[in-house]
Amino acid sequence: MGGVSLYLHIPFCVSKCGYCAFYSERVCGGDVGAVVGAMIDEVRGYRSGLEISTIYIGGGSPSCIGVEQLCRLVDAVYEHFEVCGRVEFTVEANPGQVGGAWLERMKGCGVNRLSFGAQSFDEGELKLLGRAHGVEDVYAAFELARGAGYDNLSIDLMFALPGGTVEVFAESLDAAVGLGVEHVSAYSLSYEEGSDFMRELLAGRIERVCEEVDRAMYERAIEVLAGAGYEHYEISNFAKAGFECRHNMAYWANDDYIGIGPSAASWFGGKRYTNVADIGEYVAGIDSLGRAVAESSEPTVIEVACETAVLNLRRRAGIDVHEFVKRTGYEVFGLFGGEISCNAQAGLLEVCDDRVRLTDEGIMVADRVLADFSVV
Amino acid sequence: MNVKNIRNFSIIAHIDHGKSTLADRMLELTGAVTAREAKEQLLDSMELERERGITIKASAVTMQHTYEGQDYMLNLIDTPGHVDFHYEVSRALAACEGALLVVDATQGVEAQTVANAYLAVGTGAEIMGVINKVDLPAAQPDVVAEEIEHVLGIRGNECFHISAKSGIGVEELLDAVVELLPGPEDRSDEEPAALIFDSHYDEYRGVICYVRMFAGSLKVRQKIRFMGTGRTFTITELGKFRPQMTAVDELCTGEVGYLIANIKQLADVTIGDTVTDDLHPAKKPLPGYEPPMQMVFSDFYPGTNTDYPQLRAAFDKLVMNDSSFTFIPQSSPALGFGFRCGFLGLLHMEIVQERLEREHNIDVVQTAPTVSYEVLTKDGAVKRIDSPSVLPDPSHIEELREPFVKLEIITGTDSIGGIMKLTESRRCQLIKTDYLSTTRVMMEYKAPLAEIVYDFYDLLKGISRGYATMDYEFMGFEKSNLVRIDILINKVAVDALSIIVHRSNAEARGRKLIIKLRRAIPRHQFEIPLQVAIGGKIIARETIKAFRKDVTSKLYGGDVTRKMKVLKKQKEGKKRMKSVGSVQIPQKAFMSILDTSD
Repeated sequence: MGGVSLYLHIPFCVSKCGYCAFYSERVCGGDVGAVVGAMIDEVRGYRSGLEISTIYIGGGSPSCIGVEQLCRLVDAVYEHFEVCGRVEFTVEANPGQVGGAWLERMKGCGVNRLSFGAQSFDEGELKLLGRAHGVEDVYAAFELARGAGYDNLSIDLMFALPGGTVEVFAESLDAAVGLGVEHVSAYSLSYEEGSDFMRELLAGRIERVCEEVDRAMYERAIEVLAGAGYEHYEISNFAKAGFECRHNMAYWANDDYIGIGPSAASWFGGKRYTNVADIGEYVAGIDSLGRAVAESSEPTVIEVACETAVLNLRRRAGIDVHEFVKRTGYEVFGLFGGEISCNAQAGLLEVCDDRVRLTDEGIMVADRVLADFSVV
Repeated sequence: MNVKNIRNFSIIAHIDHGKSTLADRMLELTGAVTAREAKEQLLDSMELERERGITIKASAVTMQHTYEGQDYMLNLIDTPGHVDFHYEVSRALAACEGALLVVDATQGVEAQTVANAYLAVGTGAEIMGVINKVDLPAAQPDVVAEEIEHVLGIRGNECFHISAKSGIGVEELLDAVVELLPGPEDRSDEEPAALIFDSHYDEYRGVICYVRMFAGSLKVRQKIRFMGTGRTFTITELGKFRPQMTAVDELCTGEVGYLIANIKQLADVTIGDTVTDDLHPAKKPLPGYEPPMQMVFSDFYPGTNTDYPQLRAAFDKLVMNDSSFTFIPQSSPALGFGFRCGFLGLLHMEIVQERLEREHNIDVVQTAPTVSYEVLTKDGAVKRIDSPSVLPDPSHIEELREPFVKLEIITGTDSIGGIMKLTESRRCQLIKTDYLSTTRVMMEYKAPLAEIVYDFYDLLKGISRGYATMDYEFMGFEKSNLVRIDILINKVAVDALSIIVHRSNAEARGRKLIIKLRRAIPRHQFEIPLQVAIGGKIIARETIKAFRKDVTSKLYGGDVTRKMKVLKKQKEGKKRMKSVGSVQIPQKAFMSILDTSD
């Protein structure tokens, strides 16, 4: 598939959730305009007419900055790049922040997929997570989106929350399935460096669920969603046929992508680079230099091959040996023969139909397997 | 020089009580070195010694001193300051007619001082009490003098009060050495007999022997014989340390100096041996010769950045400098190829380990130190066992014996209770308690070496807030109720983890050990049983649970670089493990045997 994936990071939230370590600031009128302005300039810094195959607006909370600002940004993207006709255009939306008008305007901008950060259908858990919405907001937002004609909707769910049980999580899964959503992302809570949850954990005020429960929840997600017709296509992602997230699939294929906005990362032109995670520095950098890169690196061909293997293996389809050699120039069995056979022997990897993929057991301990592919 | 005008003496002191400072001051006063030349602690020549503030190898210097119009030759023989080097200390003392017992006026008598003073008494040396650092505000010379009198029987009022640092009393002390210490016996007419009390290896000249002439004389080009080993050599150089090596044509009765005879390796020279003329040998060797005895053993395996030949080469070099250290090739199913190394004691082991790292840049994995055991087999043979893994099958063992030591502890009376508890838990038998003063006490124990060899000293220091000192002396092997504990990881016995322990605490030690292992070995995909076995019978079990889930939920574009780093680190961690069956064991697990804490 031709074209580059484009990620736009909106670094604003109404309030910060306890588990979140993504970069965001409290939303405030003046800053928003400046940041969006700088993001437009950053877009314009790239070659005009560049073909874009997917767009993803994430954050932060894109739905919190006001529809006018979002449209301004999207207009600039369409004006500067060549957005392909059948683009997948996703916006992350907070269930409590979307109304009919917002949905209409977004649709008018070309948005054809919404990802709702529902997280849970249990009020207690939503409160624990520090989410600004309630369960009813999720149902309402969903109905509105359907009414506005969106036919590709995704819901994020979280499990392994402190004090969480398999039963409560199963109810959330059932609720999502009941809505007839096209796509579900199910994430096990991770305690990120610098998040409130991490601090609470270290202070002993909250407790991690044990590994057995975490695994049981994950297995329940796989079981329930498969039973409801969702294909488990990546470690944390499930979709009805044809509704896999193309934008994310590009990441796992190790395709090129451009990230715009504070803290956004890019893999483009043979370089990986990440913008500064500070709105002031970002705006200043773009204004003065046209760029605001904090870190960049140029992986060697062998590093690219390792990254590709690691990313590919996250897909249930795994590594396609032909795709791999085309992308990296290396034969996967030549490069990782030992790693593959040793993990296959341990029952964590399987090789079939020119593919190397994680087994059902392998998925549970994917990091241990992927670590073997991280360096040769 | 007339034999009557020679004085051979050594200085006995605890670490930091000022032995080296006193030696430096004497060198200055006798004009052997100028103050400017006198680097701090001239006698300690190895970098390591200076850093640790201890003397590892003995040295000897010759000084000239004029007393009442007559010239005297003073030979100061330095002694190693640590219990591991007991034998070397005893040989150095045997080379002297007298010893200065130096005690810090702010610290008092320490266990090591007492032990070395007894050694000196045993060799028949005359002992002079010297109280150092009398100019410090905290000095209590009268209290210390009382202690010296009480413990060592040296009249308190006859002790010399000095400050080696400022030089107070040192000139007078030199005079007293001449006046009070006896000169050597005149045996000039006899066949030559020289005691080798130390040796070191010089890259250009080969082995340099430190000798004390007891009878006759030795000359350059003379053909000599070492009476203990029977080896013969021809002297190429004789000399004295002034303190620089200064060649002479002849060493006469009573003198101290060095001897070079084209000796290629240190192993050819044994401390305590007697040098005599090859054609006209002395009738009998000088008394007291013993081959060095290794008491502590540990396996050294090449670490991550070192390979086997590199380690071997480093050991070859070390042993040239230190003949009391031994190494033999050893292979362990768990750790691969390495060496079984023998040491005089734990400090000796630490020194070798540090020299490996510092002088040879070698990275080693080391197993827990163990002591040497004696086995009496059913067929009546006595065997030394240096490694638990080579212990014969219990059905062939008539008797197992372990080494015992005489342990002396000097401490403040306030920590007696804590020390009693510690010694009791380590199977030490109290022999006697002796109050040195109202606040200080000396306790003497019979103790199994195995119980004090590893962490005992640290615990003792902890209990006594740093005040207690200890020393020990090997007594012999005695029958003991010992058993070998085997550790099975995933049903496979791991030889490198076997230990020999007393039956009374075998189960407790075994349990502790597998709890430590449970923490040290990472979880695997499968459950790993850890078992403790004694003679094939399982007495304790722990389980390392299988890991159930290890997967990063979110990995999108922004996380790639960071995630790759984390995964690489995870892979690195896997590399540093040793495989035993299907279990990966990190190297730190092998050291958990050492840790007897909870």
